[in-house]
Amino acid sequence: MANLTIDSVKERTFDVIVIGSGASGGWAAKEFTEKGLKTLVLERGRPVEHVKDYPTTNMFPYEFEHRNEIPRKEQEENPIVNRCYAYHEDTRHFFVKDAEHPYVQEKPFDWIRGYQVGGKSLLWARQTQRWSDFDFEGPARDEFAVDWPIRYKDIAPWYSYVERFAGISGNKDGLAELPDGEFLPAFPLNAAEDHFKNALKAKFPNRYLISARCAHLSKPNQIHFDQGRVQCQNRVLCQRGCPFGGYFSSNASTLPWAQKTGNLTLRPFSVVHSIIYDEGKGKATGVKVIDTNTKEEIDFFARVVFVNASALNTNLILLNSTSNRFPQGLGNDNGLMGKYVAFHNYSATISAEYNGLLEYKTDGRNPAGGGYIPRFRNVFKQETDFLRGYAAAFSARRAESRNSKGVGEELKNSLVKPELGPWQVGSHMMGETIPKENNYVRLDKSQKDAWGVPLISVKVEYDENDRQIRKDYYEQMREMFEAAGFTNIKTRDTDRNPGLDIHEMGGVRMGHDPKTSLLNGWHQLHACKNVFVTDGACMTSTGTQNPTLTYMAFTARAADYAMNEMKKQNL
Amino acid sequence: MDKLIKRRAAIRNLLIIAGGAMVLPACYRNSGKASIALQNLTISEDEENLLAELTETLIPETTTPGAKSLKLHLFVLKMVDDCYTADNQKLFVEGLKGFNDHFSKQAGTSFADASPEKRQEVLKSIQDIKQKDDPVKKFYDITKSKTIQGYLSSKYVMTNIVKYELVPGRYNGYFPA
Ligand SMILES: Cc1cc2nc3c(=O)[nH]c(=O)nc-3n(C[C@H](O)[C@H](O)[C@H](O)COP(=O)(O)OP(=O)(O)OC[C@H]3O[C@@H](n4cnc5c(N)ncnc54)[C@H](O)[C@@H]3O)c2cc1C
Ligand code: SF4
Repeated sequence: MANLTIDSVKERTFDVIVIGSGASGGWAAKEFTEKGLKTLVLERGRPVEHVKDYPTTNMFPYEFEHRNEIPRKEQEENPIVNRCYAYHEDTRHFFVKDAEHPYVQEKPFDWIRGYQVGGKSLLWARQTQRWSDFDFEGPARDEFAVDWPIRYKDIAPWYSYVERFAGISGNKDGLAELPDGEFLPAFPLNAAEDHFKNALKAKFPNRYLISARCAHLSKPNQIHFDQGRVQCQNRVLCQRGCPFGGYFSSNASTLPWAQKTGNLTLRPFSVVHSIIYDEGKGKATGVKVIDTNTKEEIDFFARVVFVNASALNTNLILLNSTSNRFPQGLGNDNGLMGKYVAFHNYSATISAEYNGLLEYKTDGRNPAGGGYIPRFRNVFKQETDFLRGYAAAFSARRAESRNSKGVGEELKNSLVKPELGPWQVGSHMMGETIPKENNYVRLDKSQKDAWGVPLISVKVEYDENDRQIRKDYYEQMREMFEAAGFTNIKTRDTDRNPGLDIHEMGGVRMGHDPKTSLLNGWHQLHACKNVFVTDGACMTSTGTQNPTLTYMAFTARAADYAMNEMKKQNL
Repeated sequence: MDKLIKRRAAIRNLLIIAGGAMVLPACYRNSGKASIALQNLTISEDEENLLAELTETLIPETTTPGAKSLKLHLFVLKMVDDCYTADNQKLFVEGLKGFNDHFSKQAGTSFADASPEKRQEVLKSIQDIKQKDDPVKKFYDITKSKTIQGYLSSKYVMTNIVKYELVPGRYNGYFPA
């Protein structure tokens, strides 16, 4: 940085800087560039270009050396990511390896990450449900977190806005607890799933099985063709990256869209070290970046900074952004930054068999994965001993079994003639956890990563409420399964560490009061208004819904607000 | 024997020193080593051939290709070498080495000389061994399950018999069973 010329500062100055190119950062990039703002997107990982950089996308199973299994040595070297259900030979290049990006676990916490252009949007399971006011009003009603500074009506138009562009398939189900969106046709339920749906309808008021809502182009509109995306082809090999752009990812959708405007500068290999705060101006002026190839430190400047590094990394960056004015991290006057981290609890599953409807099986593949049971506990009123509740996934398939007892021709023949068994049905819980002060992340200042950034230290654990929720899930689901005539019902505690559900949230929560929250209702740091946080870090509570659709809607809304404020010279 | 191992190690070291990650020349096979590079298992050419025979007994050539021509024995070796725990690798190698003895005791003749019927009969008796950590049983179980996996996921089967579709383009939840 010795030979700074005015020009190079100019070259490093933008209207907006977005930190992170994943699901939420991609939206910030799209919104700002589309409206003509020069936007710099900083991404710590490598570039991943749609289609071109999906090396496994067209491979057949026999083309994988280990038939999609991760070799033992690699498993042992990466115990954390190895526990992720989506980490296989065909997807491993999109996951962070444990040893390359260490963090401190004060309590066991499986942190699953994707560091590349597109972030985890390449890897997600694409389940997308809106929140309702039961979620936004929850904390005020149940007093388990601070009140959200926004309500459903504030975000509803932005859900619509995002859904139309991303392409979300679903049915209009008319449920107050899970508002309908702007849907493409849903992927229908299969015979056994429909049977369960009807059993619920007949016997359980306020409990529903609906087609899972997901970010797939079941029937694309013009806006999707304009992005270069076409209809989803039911491959269900999505996590390899989809050559059709059949599912929403930053790589297939928002980033190329932003690129086309000519206003995007995408800089991979750029770890944001911290945000630069100017005490004279009383605001942030840019960010400090370490180039991962050269280890060079470079400053970039902008009027507005959007932090979209995904929840825990956003906490890390802000906590590491210290100055005389903010010795505990940018905007962290109340010392609450990093606290009230919450997550989802997917630790329970239930499975069973169904011997009816044997005249049907399924053909092809369902990218939505099956059905979704919206939260039905404590929705309209508090009715249990625990706070909040859970949603659940539900799906059914006919399993094929192969007789492999024989030897020789007998074996050879029986292998290729599988027998169709009964329907196998299964569900997993998607529980809400309560944000608590003692579930936190902080900096471990004694240890630094390869780029000189302090390691993040995570202390997050389940509590009694989580255990009660799990118990209730088993009880209620068993009852529902029995009512549907399912047999051989088995519940399973998957005994997993927090974090493995990959929905970590909080630490930089929103709220009305700067004393008890970090961000206002527009996602601005209360104490530093030109820095916005719109990824999972902003979450005041977690809901039971999959979170990413909400981050995307938050980002589009906050970007719109930021642009208006810039126009009014307020930022 | 000892000398031979030393010699092999010496040759291997020489190759590594000379060429880094050098590919072994085809004639190196004459020294009796397995035909694919293995990280953890030490398998001789004879043992590899025995494994090939065993997989062929499991899935023989008929009007369609069998295990040998699909190279399923190499798939078994590759998977055991890369994906199994050290304990299971040890049992596998032990079982492979003890297989012929075990077989001869049961059949009164070596595996190579036994008739297909005799082979099948003895293999079935190995399947029935109850003791889980018996090396021969473990070796056989691993070999069988990986042979089956390799067969079902082979290009031949996936394109000609149980066709795999990369792009189904449909989903029907009420398909006649
Ligand atoms: C297997 C799997 C299944 C999932 N299923 C679902 C689902 O069904 N539904 C759902 O809603 N969500 C799901 N998720 C979660 C979803 O992927 C995330 O919620 C979403 O991607 C978060 O968006 P983000 O922008 O906050 O973070 P990301 O998409 O992770 O992007 C963050 C980006 O910031 C970059 N970055 C981090 N630190 C820095 C730094 N210091 N400097 C520069 N760049 C940085 C990262 O490299 C990354 O590219 C799933 C995730 C996985 C892995
Ligand atoms: S299911 Fe759809 S989105 Fe997923 S890989 Fe297939 S075509 Fe692409």
